[in-house]
Amino acid sequence: MASANKPINTDVPEKDVFALHFLQSLSNLRRQNTFNSPEKTNDRVKKIKKVAYVSMARAAGGTNRLWSRALLRRAAKENNKVVRFPRRKKRVTCLRRRRSNRRDPVEEEEAERLRNLVPGGGGMEISKLMEETAHYIKCLSMQVKVMQCLVDGLAPK
Amino acid sequence: MNSSLLTPSSSSSSPHHLQSPATFDHDDFLQNFFSSAPWPSSVLDDDAPPPTSDTAVPSFHHHDADSRNQITMIPLSHHNPNDAAVDVNALYSGFSAGSLPFHFPQGSGGGVMKQSHTQTQSQATASTTTGGTAATPQTKPKVRARRGQATDPHSIAERLRRERIAERMKSLQELVPNGNKTDKASMLDEIIDYVKFLQLQVKVLSMSRLGGAASVSSQVSEDAGGSQENTSGENQTAAKMTEHQVAKLMEEDMGSAMQYLQGKGLCLMPISLATTISTATCPSRNPLISAVREAGVSLSPNTATTPVVNVKGASVATVKDASSVSKP
Repeated sequence: MASANKPINTDVPEKDVFALHFLQSLSNLRRQNTFNSPEKTNDRVKKIKKVAYVSMARAAGGTNRLWSRALLRRAAKENNKVVRFPRRKKRVTCLRRRRSNRRDPVEEEEAERLRNLVPGGGGMEISKLMEETAHYIKCLSMQVKVMQCLVDGLAPK
Repeated sequence: MNSSLLTPSSSSSSPHHLQSPATFDHDDFLQNFFSSAPWPSSVLDDDAPPPTSDTAVPSFHHHDADSRNQITMIPLSHHNPNDAAVDVNALYSGFSAGSLPFHFPQGSGGGVMKQSHTQTQSQATASTTTGGTAATPQTKPKVRARRGQATDPHSIAERLRRERIAERMKSLQELVPNGNKTDKASMLDEIIDYVKFLQLQVKVLSMSRLGGAASVSSQVSEDAGGSQENTSGENQTAAKMTEHQVAKLMEEDMGSAMQYLQGKGLCLMPISLATTISTATCPSRNPLISAVREAGVSLSPNTATTPVVNVKGASVATVKDASSVSKP
């Protein structure tokens, strides 16, 4: 039978954790030599964005969440690093997938779009995908708040 | 064995919600079944998260051990009949004890308690499932099929899956603003748009931290336009074209100029107003951004949250027409 329905845990750590990780990664980024070049602001933008996402992934639950894992793996691949995650409960997910059906093509369209948006959504079925989406939305809004506060606080008067 | 049945009022203090089974196909049980409240038809779409049944089960077995043949307690939350649920495992173990009458004081028996078509069959499944679940009573609440529907595992799994999806959809609804749509498809659309919007916000915020003047204005106007990835050079020309167009139109007719801008999702406003708005919402800002804000406010209808900025050059036009700008 399908596994038990435990209450969904979509808790997200407080703003401080996010802020801490983000600032740490920003200071790391600053230390790079090529960072403060006047041209190539696009690259700077991209780097900062990537850093924001990675710090968010790390802050928001590390390797416990599928989307954060996928994000970190993607980022690491760009840097040509290999990331290893502890694999847990792989067997349970296999069992579950065998038992349940992925029918309902109307849902599948939307699910496809969602999978493109949420990192790591490629191999998930809909219920798991929605759980991940909920957590992802919470973390994203938290990250946005943190960044907004930073911008407001640090902008020149 | 129609012994007295206990209503678990004592256990109603414990805030459990267990996943409610659909029905019970048991003959004796049927005879003893009575129901006052209607069967919660939406019980399967209930958003009450099924709690850990760990705390529930020990009380079961305790009672089972005591008065096996007489009474089987079922913890229910009597306060809200809609959330009433039964731990099916205990009931199954009750079944194995030998056709115990069960008190099933929830839901409408009326619709559910029709005569079982294949009692023996259902009893066989009950016993098999009991055997299966007896080993792990604590972790797997199971769902019995509704009367008249198949009891094969596939449909049950399907139903479970649908329940789970509905549950998660509800939690997502609370997260996403404007989540009052009942239609699943439109709700999914909202969710997708919201995720896109949040990602866009992160992108914009990461840009604004740089204070790179040219890139900010061009990038952000591109975002206001259609959120696509373009080269900044291309967008600067596009922005300039808009400026020229607007300037041309304004010479002829103010109204058409406003209409043109509105078609693009922009509007003109006097600089004083724009300054007031920008200082009201965000006290300290990058000087470029405040200058750009003076120019106009982007009016995208769907996502009121799109970053605001407009073509930089329009501030020039606004200055000229500061006195004569009419409200759109």
